[in-house]
Amino acid sequence: MRIHRLIATAAVTALMLATAACGGDSLESSGADTGSGDTGGGDKGTVVVGGQDFTESQVLAAIYQKVLENEGFTVQTKLVTTRDVYLPELSSGGVDIVPDYLAGITDYLNTEKNGPDAPLVSSNDVDKTLEALKPLAEAKGISILPPSDATDQNAFFVTQDFADQNSLTTLSDLAALGDPIKLGAPPDCEGRADCEGGLTKVYGLKITEIVPLDFASAQVKDAVKKGDVTMGETGTTDGTLAADGLVLLEDDKGIQPAQNLTPAVNADFLKANPDLEDIFNQLSAALTTDDLAQMNLKVDAERQKPEDVAQQFLQDKGLL
Amino acid sequence: MSAQAAEVAKCYLDNSWICGRYWSDYRPELTDATVQHLWITVVSVLVGLVAAVPLALLARRNPTVESLVVGGTTIIYTIPSLALFSLLLPFTGLSPTTVIIGLALYSLTILVRNVLAGLRAVPDEVVEAARGMGYSRVRLLTRVELPLALPIIMAGLRVAAVSTVALATIGAIVSYGGLGNLLLQAVGNQFKAQIFAASLLCILLAIALDLVLVGAQRLLTPWTRHAR
Repeated sequence: MRIHRLIATAAVTALMLATAACGGDSLESSGADTGSGDTGGGDKGTVVVGGQDFTESQVLAAIYQKVLENEGFTVQTKLVTTRDVYLPELSSGGVDIVPDYLAGITDYLNTEKNGPDAPLVSSNDVDKTLEALKPLAEAKGISILPPSDATDQNAFFVTQDFADQNSLTTLSDLAALGDPIKLGAPPDCEGRADCEGGLTKVYGLKITEIVPLDFASAQVKDAVKKGDVTMGETGTTDGTLAADGLVLLEDDKGIQPAQNLTPAVNADFLKANPDLEDIFNQLSAALTTDDLAQMNLKVDAERQKPEDVAQQFLQDKGLL
Repeated sequence: MSAQAAEVAKCYLDNSWICGRYWSDYRPELTDATVQHLWITVVSVLVGLVAAVPLALLARRNPTVESLVVGGTTIIYTIPSLALFSLLLPFTGLSPTTVIIGLALYSLTILVRNVLAGLRAVPDEVVEAARGMGYSRVRLLTRVELPLALPIIMAGLRVAAVSTVALATIGAIVSYGGLGNLLLQAVGNQFKAQIFAASLLCILLAIALDLVLVGAQRLLTPWTRHAR
């Protein structure tokens, strides 16, 4: 009886130790989310790439990971749900580099410093937004590298047919047409400077109704295709529009804040590795909004893995 | 591009819940996530158990301590996991420790109560007899009380293990959620095959852990089998 129990205790303990040990292993080698099976055995130390876990951010984190591995770093990727989880870590050095969005990080740091009612310092102007961001980021121990031209902004789309018939390419063209517009957009669109407010006040669109439909959803695209609404809201990096016979109208008067892709780096880490600045500048220069749209499409529709899409992109651009 | 597109599995394009290609294409991701999920769960429950036994021993002699311990662990259970992880984040960062501390604290609620109930269920006359035989307090605890408390403690461990498997997915907010990482990403881009696979593995993991604990209990407490 007693021996029986001894064996059982030993077996349970062994099992638990085994799983724990096993876990320790996977922790060392895991890039947690994007899976870094091919971690190069670099000798420059370990870098933690942070970011959020939606598709575009996953792909960009995978691109950063591969670029850094190519430089001889061992990379861990930690993707989290929201900016307020990774930003304090980026400040303290728990995370070294994040692919962030210019106006997004600017608004976050501005709100953190000046309170939720502080006036926005981000705008459609990349340089001005960057100028406002730099001191905010520096105070937090974060260095901002030059933004890419690639940008993920909110944007408005109509059917290609409607655009062709009325030769529309910009929102100003649509306003010049003078037709009443039914808009498919999230309920908080009304009054917002980057949505209904800006469209009516800056462009002079005659919006008769806002039909509540989710941002970039299949429902809003269907509604535009069927003609239930004239125009819908999505992002500039939505890769599915062309296949659906839909087209973006350019925000020629700039009501959308500049959401250009911007590497945000822990200041101490950048100081220790100054040559990374050039490498990320090359990457930012090569990246376009259309690249983002195509890569998002590959992950969201074809279900390719973000790291495979990242690898392909870097090879195509000759960056590896 | 079009040649590549032709290779895309139909169940990906249709976004089917059940997609055989998903299971083979994403096997490494599924394996890593399951392993991470398992070890985070096991370590959390073990840490919870190691903390629960002394707390229960403190609590059983003194009603004031008992209400403090039982009340305290219950209050911890009511803290939303999002808030708990945010509280821990400045100290432990984006690490498994953040998740393990959180999960271990939650498991305490169940484990402390069950260890306490298990110890209380030991018949007084058995304890008296052991004392009469000259057992020291330590020997009394390890040789008589804990073994007799084992069925109730194991019942608590089973509940704690199964609930921790489910709770561990929340670790995804700090990137250590095991299968929760895959779930969260898949909910984000409506990847139904991945939602289905990760959920199924979570359920299987919970069932497997429960079976292991049932098996361990039967081996550890052979006398309970004959009693019924």
